[in-house]
Amino acid sequence: MAQHGGPQQRIFSPLRTALHRFAFILLIFSAFGLMLLGKADTVLIERIRAASADLVSPVMNIVSRPASSINEITDKAYNLAHLYEENERLRRENLQLLAWQQAARNLSHENARLRELAHYTTPPSLHLVTSRVIADMGGAYAHSLMISAGSRDGVIKGQAVIADEGLVGRIAEAGYQASRVLLITDINSRVPVIVENSRDRAFVSGDNTTRPLLTFLTADATVAPGDRILTSGHGGAFPPGIPVGVVSSVSENAVRIAPLFRRHQLEYLRVANYGLHGILSEQRIRQSQAPSNTDATNLAPDIPAGVGVVPKESEIDAHKPMFKPPAPEGDRP
Amino acid sequence: MKPGVWHRLDVIARGLLPAFSVFVLLLINLLPVSLPLLSTASPSLALMAVFYWSVNRPDLLTALTAFFLGLLQDLLMGLPLGVSSLVLLLVQTGSASQGRFFHNKSFSVMWWGFALVAIPALLVQWLLSSALIGALLPIKATLISYVLTSLLFPLVAWGLARAQNSLLRYI
Repeated sequence: MAQHGGPQQRIFSPLRTALHRFAFILLIFSAFGLMLLGKADTVLIERIRAASADLVSPVMNIVSRPASSINEITDKAYNLAHLYEENERLRRENLQLLAWQQAARNLSHENARLRELAHYTTPPSLHLVTSRVIADMGGAYAHSLMISAGSRDGVIKGQAVIADEGLVGRIAEAGYQASRVLLITDINSRVPVIVENSRDRAFVSGDNTTRPLLTFLTADATVAPGDRILTSGHGGAFPPGIPVGVVSSVSENAVRIAPLFRRHQLEYLRVANYGLHGILSEQRIRQSQAPSNTDATNLAPDIPAGVGVVPKESEIDAHKPMFKPPAPEGDRP
Repeated sequence: MKPGVWHRLDVIARGLLPAFSVFVLLLINLLPVSLPLLSTASPSLALMAVFYWSVNRPDLLTALTAFFLGLLQDLLMGLPLGVSSLVLLLVQTGSASQGRFFHNKSFSVMWWGFALVAIPALLVQWLLSSALIGALLPIKATLISYVLTSLLFPLVAWGLARAQNSLLRYI
């Protein structure tokens, strides 16, 4: 608003300056208060974050469409220019894939027969929710995406998010119609994995670079560049066997992997609901903190007791009423 | 002539333009872009807009507004809460008090001013984020982000100046 001079201005001006200064100091303190709150009460902050994602998701849903169609046009132009080479490459790849298909058929028959012999119980069936990427929080400080699926589609915090190529990340917060995906390259991301050939266990730990680290490898583990890394399924957060990346460099103090997805080309993602609640289940953490917990382990109060406790069968069943039980293929005579 | 209800509503709506423009730039920042560089480090568009408005119209983008816009940025981008609030608040207060210096000067002076202000702003953001996350974040991404932010400032400032001239000339 325009400033008006006058006798009132002369009286109130110092007062207003003092008030402004006080408000400034108050705001500085509230900023630090927010930082403390963000560290202390993560459940409340998660709710607020999910609500803010819901708030902007209708706008982002519409606005991100033209952006993706522009990408499509540039893609088309590129494809047109490289039609011949692409065709040759695909022809060669098709020959190889046909051979693989034959091998896969033989193996899948053999596998089915062996499973029958061993009375193998099949893991729970995978329930996939496909959704579009509506926002990319590209930045130096956080690696995350926003997708247009939330709790109304059955998306829950902690579920695995996969692209065509492999694992992308996990659901960090699920709102009603939008969720935030924490990429495996984010500094807060830890994924239990195994090396495909040697079956060595490790963790993929993001560090906000494009090449996450392979940590907690045992001393006698054998890892070489080019080895494929898969999720191990330990901890119950992710289904086992999802490809995560390829070992890109091995040095004395760090093994780095190259994720299989290319972040700037992600458009559609699938959220895998495995019927598992995993170590990230808010409900279980809160239940385990209740005084009536029979599995209490008397750990330090900041470590929620029961995080590592395997849930009882009845608990798991009680929490997944919307999914059908897996088909009893393994029990067939 | 006594200003009517509609006139007053019009003035209020126009007065909200700076805050709204920062919000729109925040959403633009969130758009998925298919450029490999932008997915690792993006320019901080909100910082540019907050600087522009605090220099030119500090009465329309107050410290309180800057604080809440920072909070929104933290919530939407998944950053540690309170960091952007503090950074935007400091940038608003600092630039508003030095705003007179930039008046009636050429645009390149303002550009240099922004390039100078953005260094401590991004540095504070990097330091506080690292401290709150509990691990040193790679400085390379922050550097790329800084270069992009200072290079793209004229473009954003041009757009904001157009909006200011057409909508905020008489208030």
